This record gives sequence, structure tokens and C-alpha cells, in this order.
Amino acid sequence: MTPILETRGISKSYAGIGALRDVALQVGEGERVGLIGPNGAGKTTLFNCILGLLVPNAGSVWLAGDNITSLPVHQRARRGIGRSFQRIELFTESTVREHLLIAERVRRGNGSLWKDLLGRGRPTADELRSCDVVLARLGLAELADEPIEQLSLGQGRLVEVGRALMTQPRVLLLDEPSSGLDRQETADLAATLRELQEEQGFAILLVEHDVEFVAAFTQRCYVLDFGSLIAEGLTAEVLERSIVRESYLGTPEGPDT
Amino acid sequence: MIFASALGEDLARALLQGMPPGAVYALIAIGFVLAYKTSGVFNLAFGAQAYVSAALYFQARQEWDWGILPALLVSVFLLAPALGLILERLIFRHLRTSSSVAKLVVAIGLTVAIPSLFDVVVGFSPVAGQTPTGIIPGGANVFYQPFGVYAFSRDELMAMGLAVVAMLGLAALFRFSAIGLQMRAVVESPRMTELNGIQADRVSAFSWALSSVFAGLAGVLIAPRFNTLAAPDFFNLVVVAIAAAAVGRLMSLPRALAGGLGLGVFIALANTFLPAWAEAHPILAPIQENVAPAVPFLVLFALLVLWPAVRTTKEQADPLSGVDPPPPSLASRERSSGLTVATRVFAVVFFLTVGFVVFTRADVNWLFLITQSVILSTIFLSITVITGLAGQISLCQGTFAAIGGFTVFQLSDRYGTSALVAALIGAVVASACGALLSLPIRRLGGVWVAIATLAFAFFFDAVMVKLPWVGGGGTSLLQGTRVPRPTIGPWDLGDDKAFLVLALVVFVITSLAVIQIREGTIGRTLRALRGSELASQSIGISPARSRVLAFALSGFIAGIGGAMLSMQQENVNYTLNFSPFAALFWLVLVVSLGSRTVEGAAQAGAAYALFEAIVLRGAVFGWILRSADRIPGIFPISPKWRFIIFGLGTIQFARHPEGLVEFNTRRAHRRTEALLARLRRPGAAPPPEPDVPEAKEVVP
Repeated sequence: MTPILETRGISKSYAGIGALRDVALQVGEGERVGLIGPNGAGKTTLFNCILGLLVPNAGSVWLAGDNITSLPVHQRARRGIGRSFQRIELFTESTVREHLLIAERVRRGNGSLWKDLLGRGRPTADELRSCDVVLARLGLAELADEPIEQLSLGQGRLVEVGRALMTQPRVLLLDEPSSGLDRQETADLAATLRELQEEQGFAILLVEHDVEFVAAFTQRCYVLDFGSLIAEGLTAEVLERSIVRESYLGTPEGPDT
Repeated sequence: MIFASALGEDLARALLQGMPPGAVYALIAIGFVLAYKTSGVFNLAFGAQAYVSAALYFQARQEWDWGILPALLVSVFLLAPALGLILERLIFRHLRTSSSVAKLVVAIGLTVAIPSLFDVVVGFSPVAGQTPTGIIPGGANVFYQPFGVYAFSRDELMAMGLAVVAMLGLAALFRFSAIGLQMRAVVESPRMTELNGIQADRVSAFSWALSSVFAGLAGVLIAPRFNTLAAPDFFNLVVVAIAAAAVGRLMSLPRALAGGLGLGVFIALANTFLPAWAEAHPILAPIQENVAPAVPFLVLFALLVLWPAVRTTKEQADPLSGVDPPPPSLASRERSSGLTVATRVFAVVFFLTVGFVVFTRADVNWLFLITQSVILSTIFLSITVITGLAGQISLCQGTFAAIGGFTVFQLSDRYGTSALVAALIGAVVASACGALLSLPIRRLGGVWVAIATLAFAFFFDAVMVKLPWVGGGGTSLLQGTRVPRPTIGPWDLGDDKAFLVLALVVFVITSLAVIQIREGTIGRTLRALRGSELASQSIGISPARSRVLAFALSGFIAGIGGAMLSMQQENVNYTLNFSPFAALFWLVLVVSLGSRTVEGAAQAGAAYALFEAIVLRGAVFGWILRSADRIPGIFPISPKWRFIIFGLGTIQFARHPEGLVEFNTRRAHRRTEALLARLRRPGAAPPPEPDVPEAKEVVP
């Protein structure tokens, strides 16, 4: 079966220093995959190569069998790569619902200058309905008309997830979703994400520091260190391997990452 | 062989000739970089600061008969740093956590305000054809010919000498003194420096004072080169300096020096060789006449577009800038429906009354001003689109409007095209220019878009306007760029009242279109992009496409407005209406009053055309006192106060980017609603005022 997301031999170097070396990674349809590694291992670089924010020096990125290496960021998004951000990126001056509405509008691609000028650019009942479904699903229905500035960080992350879901992604890239959240919030977020994912069948690639989260949430995972993959496989097994424990978790006496 | 030696001599002469102006460009560029490095302010007002010193020097020498030394000391070493300190202390220190675009807008406001403020305070008015002499006796008349190819005047040698001394002094300061070390630290991180027990504020104030000395010195040195001492020339100068500074990516002082000298030499080379080539190849003749003055703008534009290093220069931003509260949503969205109805009823009554008075009572002058304010409101809606909706600062809206005006002039002059059709074509042309311009600059960050559009505006100003197929060439200098008033069927719009009706119709249609766009897909897309470009891309929005669209729309609106303005005045009047410096004031007005709403644009239009007539000339007092003869003696107040008031008005942009109109509307809504709530439920406690940060007074 073709993986939904695949990188083949990605290499990237900054000013001669290799940040990624020949990284091959696959995410199957409907799979939850983790990507872990210590600080500076190249996780963010790889993430940005997949999203199109960085151009790899070598290698290619494939989405559902199509080579998307040369596509700009927004076209990759339209083809089905959704994402959340480590430092949340929300649209100022907008309500929660407006975040989802604009994503829905872009996905449907039915906005045009003429429609705007003729006053038909306002949200349709249909669009509002599909937004409300997702809002309800995320437990944000009560906050739908709140300006975004009023939300807590955890709620903001949910809005990001909702916005990404509106694009009907085939694979959702989550960048450190637990950062800034407490344990309970992280657990709630994980539960919501898992439900949604099982329901809608998109794949998830998760970059995360919180090993417990990765262990509980993902089925498989990849471990990056110094720009190379040092381990991959079922999450529970990978986390047991000594090479991973040494590079990432540190020995019990050693310093924690 | 002879040819080669002649060429060599030309080359050497151009090289030497370019050095003295290059040295002055370098001085400004260095001062500019100094302020940018230590405070992150892209200080466009630098030209205004140079102007103030040059004008005071001129005034002191010519009017007050001071000697060279006292005049120089007071204008360059007293006034200049004092002005720098005042700006830092009262304005920019408080904007430290604002975005770089907000700081730029404030600097643009100051560019407009400072020269007028100086003129009013000192009572200075430029004398045509007179500029100060240099800072050395006989500066312009005594020549030295050190290399046998080019004779330097004493002034020129002085300029170069001072540039060298200043550079060495600066290098020594950075290398050997404590304050130099602290300045270098503040550049790296003001917060971190403060944590180490150094007062970043004091360091920043010192570098502002120092950089202002550079501005003042350069102003006094360059002034003899101008025909008349006027603020716009000094504004050109700062654009040249930005080009020089861009060579050093706005960060490196030695490279800014090299950039300044290089630019001076490059201009001299163009002036030396282009005429010779043009003689040999007549085809080049029109280019030769026009390109040389545009060299700095071409260089700047090319640097921005072609040199990725400039684009990616890390914007100086305080890490804490992200925690400032974002601007609130539009007041009209928050108000209750009852208030909306009341507002609309009031607006209708108000405009009907004004309209009735205007159409029955107004004389030719008032009709002219009111029509002008309506047309300018239309043009200002183009700023609402590009700045209010798309969040970009464009400094070439005057150029787009001029394109509209010139198109009507050309089409009706050459082909007798109906003026209205020509106006539409003009709008389309302006729109196409906007789209084309936005393509190469679509990747630039906020401040750089402003600078690139400014370079474009100056390029149009220096080159395009002079071409026969744009500005009309020689003949139009004699008879003006004449534009006819349109006729629609039986209506002859040569009649001022009929033309006012047309202007109103155009304004209303444009306003409705802007509102529809704001509330529709495009407005939402642009709002998303303004909020977060990264997140917008992640849901499939193409930033480049949206920006191109915003520029095209904005160009269209400005083009149609420019065409209307030219039709009203029956002349394009480029210099008066559309030159880059004149159009700076547009942005200042719109931003000051409100760049997000149609009301803001309308009030900016009214302020532009009517503020002087109603307030400064005392008409409103005359009306209150029921007789024009009883207007108090303080009127008429100098029209320059317009520039001062609205220029300083931009200072609030950093805190209230929605503008004064929106800010006050919101406050009025809240108070009215609180009042209504109290009236409805007597005895109930009024709802607490939501804590919206109040406007912080920055200028006393």
C-alpha cells in the first residue's frame, strides 16, 4: 500500500553543516506516527521540509504517491497536509468560528472577487454548519463567537486543530502540541485527537518532547539524532531500545534532555 | 590609444566627481544605520532632521547674520542632537515593543510633521533659488586639482574630510569607549543588556543623539547642491541613503560608508557616460535625460528584489513585542443593533443636511473643496484596502493615482476618448501596474515593501513623468496636462454641482465595494494573512496571490480616484497632487484617522481638503460668531499646522492601529450602551468598562 506521506533520502545542510542526512520516513494511511529526538536532532528541519518551508538539498517528499517536493506551502496544504504549531499561530482580530470559516472557504475554493463585490462572499449556511460540527466535536461550541485573544493556550491549540481539520487533511502534522499545556490538558487533547483521527481516518505525524505522550498516543515512531534516523518501529519497542534511551532519554544518572 | 586614455580620464574624473556627494550619502547612511541598529527604527524622518539643521544654518547665516562657526555649532551640534533626543525620549522609546511597521508609520508621520513644525516655530520659509553656502569661506569658489583631472571645490574637500573624520571617530568610539561597547551590546539584545545592569534607554538615547548629528551634518553639507531649500529634497536624500545602507544590509557601518561612496561614484559615472552614448546612439537619448536622477531608486529597487540577503535581514524586533494586545475588531461589529440603527439614521440626516446646504448655498470655492474631499476619500479607500485590509504600507499610492490621471490626459488629448471611459482605462492601467509591482516584491517583509514602493514612486517621479507618452513632455510644461470634464448623454459635468454628484456616486460605489471585499472572502483571507502568514499558508492560502490581488485592487481604486481628481481640476497637476512627498501625507492622514474603515477614509478626505478652510482659516469661528468679519485675530493659522497635527497623529498608530476614528467610535459606543443599560434598569449597577488600554499620551 502506498504510504500517505513519505520522505525519501532527505538531506539538508546549513552552511555546510548537515542538519539532516538521508532521512526516509513513511506514514501509512490512518496511522499515528511519532517523531522524536533530542534538541537539535533535526526534527523541526524535517518538519519544515515536509511542509515546504525549507527546500531539502537532496531527496523528495511524497504525498499519497505524488512527488510534492517542488510545491509551495499552500499547495501542499490544499493537497492534504494540515498542521498545528508549536507556538500557536492564530489570526488576530478574528473569532474562533472565523478561523474555521476561512479554512472552509479556502478548501471549497468558491471565493472570487466578483462574488465578494456582489455581496455573495459572506459565509453560507452550509459553511457555517460544517464549522459548527467541528466546533462541537472539539468542545469549542460555547466559545465560537469569542475573539481569539480571550482563549487559553489549550483552547488555542484546539482552534488550530479545528482549523486544520476544516481543510480535510489526509495527514496532520502536529508540532509539539503539548508544549505549554499541563498534564490534564495534554491528556484531554490527546483523547480528542485520537477520537477524531479514528473517526475520520487521517494520519498523524507527531513531533513531541513528552515521551509519555508519544508512548500513549502513537503506534509507530522514528527517532532522529544528529540528523539521522537511529531507530524506527513500534513505539513501545523503540522506546525500550538502549540506543534510543542513551541518545534521547539519557541514562538514569545522566542529565535529562 | 587616444581613445583609451580619454576613456581613462573620463573614468577618473567621474570617480573623483562622485566622491564628495558620495561622502554625504555615506554620512546619512551611517547615521541611519546607527539609529536602526540601536533602536530598530527605520527612521524615514532622518531626511526631515537633516532639513531642520540645514534650514537653521541657512536662517542663522542669511537672516540673522551669524558667523559660520556659531551657526554650525547651533544647527548641527546643538539642535540636531536635541531633536534626536526628543524623538527618542518622547516617541520611539515608548514604541520599543511595537512592530517595525508601526515604527515606520510613526517615522513617516514625523517626516511630514517635523519640517512644518520647524518652519512654524522659527518662522522659516524657503526662498526660491537660495540655499546656504558651505561651511568654509569661499567654499564654492576656490578649487584644488590634486590629480589633474577634476577640480574639487573647498566645499567638496570639506565634505569628504568630515566624512573620514566622522567614520574614524565612530570606529574609535565603538572600539575603545565604554559607551561604544554598550551600544554594541544593546544592538544584540536591549533586554539582555538591561539585565546586566546597563541602562539600555540611556545608550539608545545617546545613539539617537549621535545619529542625529550625522543627519544634521549631512544636511548642512548637502544643502548647497540644491536649488531651493525644501523639505522634499531632503526626503529624496534619505531614500538615497537607504539605498547606501541597504548595501550593508542596514547593519554594517563600514559597508554603509562604502555604499554611500559607491552610489555617488555610480551616479557620476552615469552622468559622464550616458550623454556620450546617447550622442552616438540617438535611441538612448530619452533614457539618458531621465535615468541619471533615478539611479539611486533603481539601485535600491534592484537590491531589494535581486539580493536575497537584504530580504532576509532579520527584522529588529523585541522578543516581547508578541505580548502586546492585538488590535480590537471593528467597532461597528460590536455595537448593538439599536445603536446601529441610531447611527445610520443620524448619518442619513447629517449627510442630507450637509448635502442640502452644499447644493443650495455653497459658492465655487466651497464646491471645489467639497468635491475634492469626496474624490480624495475615494483615493484614500485604496489605502484602506492596502494598509487597512492587507496590512501593507504602500508609499506609491500617489503614483497609482497619477497613472489614472495621466491616462485620462493622454487618451483624451490624443484620441479624444470620452473622459469617463478613459478614467476606467486609467484605473485598469493603474491596477495592472500595482499587480506588476507587487510581483517582484511579494516576498518582502513589511518595512521593505514600504521602501520598495517608495523607490518605485521616486522612479516614476524621476523618469516616467517626463516621458512624452506619460506626462506629456515639453508641451505639457507650457500648457499643462489638460484633462476635460466628462459628459454623460445630456448631462454636462463641466458644471461643478453635476460633477460633485458624479464624485459622490463614484465614492459610494467604491465604498460599497470595499465593504463587500472586507466582509467577503478576500477580506477574510487578507485578515488571516495579516494575523499569521504561516498559519494562512497551512490552510491553503497563497500569500503571493493575495498580495498581488490587494495591490491590483488598491491600484484600481487609486487610479479611478486620480482620474477623477484630474478631471475636477481639469489638469493632472502632478507635482501638487501626486508627487511622492505629497502622497506621504495621504498615508499619514488615513493612518491617523483610521485605515480600516470607510468612515476613516472619508474623514481623511474631508481633513485633507477642508481642515484648512474650516479650522485653520477660522471659517468655523466665523460661522459660530455669525459674521466672517468677527473671526478672531489669530486666524488664519498657517496651513502647515495640517502637517504637524496629522503627522504627530500617527504616533498613536502603534497603540491603536485602527486609528482615532475607530478608537473614539468604540469608546462612544461603549459609553452610550452603558448609559442605555443604566436607563433601562434603574438602580442596576452599570456594567464594568472592559479594560481596553487607553491611548497613552506620548507627546505632551
